[in-house]
Amino acid sequence: MDKVFAVMKREYMERVRSRWFIFATVFGPLLMGVLLFLPGWLASRSQSRSDATDIVIIDASGAALGARIGDALVAGGGNRPVVRVVEPSAIVQAESTATKEVIAKQRQGYLLVDALTVAGERARYSGRNASTLPDMRRIEDGVRGAVLSLRFEQAGLDAQRVQALSKIKLDMTTERLSERGRGGGGENSVFLAYAVAMLLYMSIVLYGQAIMMGVIEEKTQRVAEVVVASISPEKLLAGKVLGVGSVGLTQQVVWIGSAIAMLQLKGPIANALGIATVSTFTLPTVSILTGLSLLVFFLLGYTLFATLFAAAGSMVSSTQDAQQVATPLTLLIVPSLLLLAPVLLEPNGTLARVFTIVPFTAPILMPVRMSLTNVPMLEVLASIALLVLSCLAAVWVAARIYRVGVLMYGKKPSMSEVMRWVRVSR
Amino acid sequence: MTQLAVDIQSVVKRYAGHVAVRDLSLQGPVGAVYGLLGPNGAGKTTTIRMLLNIIAPDEGRISVLGVPNTTKDVLDRVGYLPEERGLYKKMQVRRLLRFLGELKGIRGAEADRRIDYWLDRLSLRTSEKDWGAAKVDELSRGMQQKVQFIGTLLHDPDLVILDEPFSGLDPINAQALKDTVLELRKRGKTVIFSTHLMDNAERMCDAVCIIARGEKVLDGAVSHVRAEAGSNHIALGLDGVATDQVAAVLADESLVRRVDDSSRFFEIELADGANAQELLRRLVDAGAVVQRFEKVQPSLHQIFLQKVGASGIEDGMSGHG
Repeated sequence: MDKVFAVMKREYMERVRSRWFIFATVFGPLLMGVLLFLPGWLASRSQSRSDATDIVIIDASGAALGARIGDALVAGGGNRPVVRVVEPSAIVQAESTATKEVIAKQRQGYLLVDALTVAGERARYSGRNASTLPDMRRIEDGVRGAVLSLRFEQAGLDAQRVQALSKIKLDMTTERLSERGRGGGGENSVFLAYAVAMLLYMSIVLYGQAIMMGVIEEKTQRVAEVVVASISPEKLLAGKVLGVGSVGLTQQVVWIGSAIAMLQLKGPIANALGIATVSTFTLPTVSILTGLSLLVFFLLGYTLFATLFAAAGSMVSSTQDAQQVATPLTLLIVPSLLLLAPVLLEPNGTLARVFTIVPFTAPILMPVRMSLTNVPMLEVLASIALLVLSCLAAVWVAARIYRVGVLMYGKKPSMSEVMRWVRVSR
Repeated sequence: MTQLAVDIQSVVKRYAGHVAVRDLSLQGPVGAVYGLLGPNGAGKTTTIRMLLNIIAPDEGRISVLGVPNTTKDVLDRVGYLPEERGLYKKMQVRRLLRFLGELKGIRGAEADRRIDYWLDRLSLRTSEKDWGAAKVDELSRGMQQKVQFIGTLLHDPDLVILDEPFSGLDPINAQALKDTVLELRKRGKTVIFSTHLMDNAERMCDAVCIIARGEKVLDGAVSHVRAEAGSNHIALGLDGVATDQVAAVLADESLVRRVDDSSRFFEIELADGANAQELLRRLVDAGAVVQRFEKVQPSLHQIFLQKVGASGIEDGMSGHG
């Protein structure tokens, strides 16, 4: 056991010290922070800019709609837009003048309103910022509000009163409700499921391949023989899988930890950055049981693929050959991603129920399903049991392939040769 | 009976298509330097790997330091330098040595103390530069070999197994290796090494075993092996290159069975019934300027050629011996 620990410690320390690990571990939370705060920051920037009001309004409505829109836009800050009231016949002339102004960068764009706008059918905007969503939303809201107030007034209602009554700022919050009670937002749990799937997929693929490359490196650098003279290949394999697995766990603890910290502290952070609105995403509540089973599925899934990747690595003698032996394993993982969308859509459908039991897709899809819906305990246990059995089988096969392969150099062995390695232990 | 450091009994190892080792038995006593000699492809590395339980024999028994080599922890008392040298290139030398020590059960301050001792001894740590803090791939080839050698000896093994230890060594490192081997022997340790360099074997080994095609050809104490191989060997030294007349004498099959021609030095095996005096007279008559003419025991090199010959090298076999 001391030797397994020695191998594990070496794998862990050497990898944690590597520049790649430090970069990825720091970069992950950084990326998360950017995703969390950047939209708010951009929004707060674009609001303080006056692009949305720096426009010409060509008013051919004949009902002074342009002035109303100007009022509505100015209410959100910025300069008052220029309003040009024209006859419908002079629209073409007014448009070409406005176009020149936009091209000369005197204005951001121009808005055309006419009788159809008053009828509530359409308005047209052309400008540099036509693809800036917040600007367009503001202008559209302005037009809509102006048309509405115009209609109320025409219907004989008091403008002030109408404005006061129609001012509604509505945010709908969503919440998941199930037989286990309330908890978490509906949208949030999809987000969580997606995050869980990506995290599991990435760590299984990345760390599985890391083990494979490590095994090949030991072979190409001819270290393997020195090591297996001191420790049995089975223990070496175990040490490597545990060591690299601990690296993966460390990284995830950092990532998940900083995600939780960031979501908890997003208010203070946003204030410090001078951002008014941050994404409404809140921390989903994860029950201890779900959290635990997440960990169990990660560990089992990782073990299953890591041992297979290690065995694959031991079969070849160069990194060039690695891709060939890794491909079949990748084909076992990829279905998890392909099936992600169907499972997200219908977490209790037949497809989801079947593939959360199949050992190669269960490690990713079952946690996804569990974060979306309440999976019957029996199915969870069956999935775990099958996965444990698969792990044992994989470890047994991998250890046998590894034992022979790790000292084998030269040509990539054929499938029948590998089968013989498995049958004859050494 | 003296205690045996290694005891290999009737070991057979088959691979698909060929037999690497067939019915090999050999005994290496404690405290001796034991040479495993043989051409490439003879089964030396396979034998050594079986000794270390890296691969298992198909038949036969192997004991190391008095117990079966599958016994728990017995291999912690064995040090191994494989023919294919290799170290983790990206690792710092000191961390690598600590790791190799841990694999043999040496850790902590004790490991550090020994690492310091060896780094100093092999001049990898001097007042100017501590190579222990460098990464392996920053070291020269020679220094990497020293590091590998430290890794082999760090846990002060009772049995040291060196597979082709001299291959790729420069003369200085080769001398350091010889000195270390002899010092290990003085301290009562057993050293087994494989080589195809007979000179080194002859000078360093107490006993040898010659194997070819997976079979033992002969074994025993070096002195015994040489005495057994007969005394009808002549060492001949000439001043200047042999003339055609001299060459003709040496080619006379009634006098000379075999000659190992090193241009100015010849090792000659007399033909049956031939007389050394007769050979000397004929050589002088042929105009040879003789600097040395001595009846000697055959060198291991001669014995090797005699016993194994060119036929002992399997056609097309290469790689691990």
